[in-house]
Amino acid sequence: MMEANQNKAIAQLKGVGDGLRVVIDPSQSAELLQQELKKIFQPLNHLSINARVVIDTGEGLVDENLVKTLGAYLKENFKVGSVSGIPPRPSARKARMRQRELDTCWNTNQSEVLMMAGRVRSGQKITAKRHLVLMGDVNPGGEIIAGGDIVVLGSLRGIAACGQPENFNAIIFALDFRPSQIQIGPLVAAGPPGAPKQKAEFAHVENNAIVVDDYLEAGPFSKLPWPEKR
Amino acid sequence: MNGKTIVITSGKGGVGKSTATANIGAALAMEGNRVAVIDMDIGLRNLDVLLGLENRIVYTIVDAAKGRCKIKQAAIKDKKIDNLFLIPASQSDNKDVLTTEEITNLCEKLRKEFDFILLDCPAGIEKGFQNSVAAADEAVVICTPEVSSVRDADRVIGLLYARSITPKLVVNRIVPEMVERGDMLSHEDVVDILSIDLIGLVPMDEQVVISTNTGVPLVTQKDSKAGEALRRIAYRLNGQPDLPIEVPTVKKSFWKTKINFRFGGKK
Repeated sequence: MMEANQNKAIAQLKGVGDGLRVVIDPSQSAELLQQELKKIFQPLNHLSINARVVIDTGEGLVDENLVKTLGAYLKENFKVGSVSGIPPRPSARKARMRQRELDTCWNTNQSEVLMMAGRVRSGQKITAKRHLVLMGDVNPGGEIIAGGDIVVLGSLRGIAACGQPENFNAIIFALDFRPSQIQIGPLVAAGPPGAPKQKAEFAHVENNAIVVDDYLEAGPFSKLPWPEKR
Repeated sequence: MNGKTIVITSGKGGVGKSTATANIGAALAMEGNRVAVIDMDIGLRNLDVLLGLENRIVYTIVDAAKGRCKIKQAAIKDKKIDNLFLIPASQSDNKDVLTTEEITNLCEKLRKEFDFILLDCPAGIEKGFQNSVAAADEAVVICTPEVSSVRDADRVIGLLYARSITPKLVVNRIVPEMVERGDMLSHEDVVDILSIDLIGLVPMDEQVVISTNTGVPLVTQKDSKAGEALRRIAYRLNGQPDLPIEVPTVKKSFWKTKINFRFGGKK
């Protein structure tokens, strides 16, 4: 790695259709980069005047200040027209890594979900160390408790406590959401009052308070950029 | 003879367990079965009053179970129905005097004598309930269309399932007018939560109070709505499981309907 870095040029010039593209190594200091840019731009002479320059910082985050400093330097000394950074591109290497993670997650991550089927009747209680999936209903007086999330594929009419003892990120989801009480971590809320309605809803924490939303409308996980382990 | 032992239970008190036991027992006996109804509510006996037999009690279930008397001595024959026998509860003891073994042994003996043994379970889920359930092959859960009753019935159903008994459901005291107005849970709502097989729907009936006070079972009277429903439950228990379940509905009189139709009056 060290050798490769040493061999790689700190700054390189690449011709692009209507301008100049400078590929720099953003890990180097601004002074060093300026020296390198001087070496590149001096031989260009008048070619650099009014040219559109794009500073390519490669993979990773673009340091706005670095691009600005270098841009000002180039404008002052070589009279270039405009200088801009390029938005970060999706990294192919990272994408491959993520795909590999997804492919192998079955091997590397032991399942932490308790999956149950049936009806939780009054007086009965299911406790899961982590996540709990129940294919069935929870009757009034029934109780389900989980360290992580709770997913009820049925009607939730009893008490549900997720994220015990204090995970505020946990959610409670039910296809028919009308619990008598819900708890997320240490927070407690009474079930939604009013006429019963069959709606797929979920409860989560927002600003230290429990909020219930329509699951499909709110889509709490639809904005995640890629599948995440829960 | 190898009789069936059926426990009639509800969890909550006052929903009509004893009334149902007396009437289903009477209806089964009128069908020609030899029936024993047993009052398991030791300390708070009621079933003798419902059958009008309170003045004939000499020995009780406690005596029979402890071997202080013969079963024949404890079993009181009904006044009118030949095949119906009552084994009354003791009023002076409490529920802890009997052990589960004593009850199961007693029921084993009764099984040889009777076609049906109906156990009238006390309210609650303590010793009295456990004793009643331990001896039972089948269970009938009585529930009224009230949230509290449904909750208790649900708990009891869970406990029965834990003992591998699949109970059947009776929804009692339905007031069709209130259901229609949306003021009362419908039997569909109850079944939706309890999710067990329905064996009967019994409408609210003022006659029940009269029948309880006079000690004459409703099923012996012809014009009682609740009696008719309870009789049909007995038929379903007695080898006619497919007998259709009648849903209590608001009965509008013929002339009222006619007049409303004629003058376009309100329903």
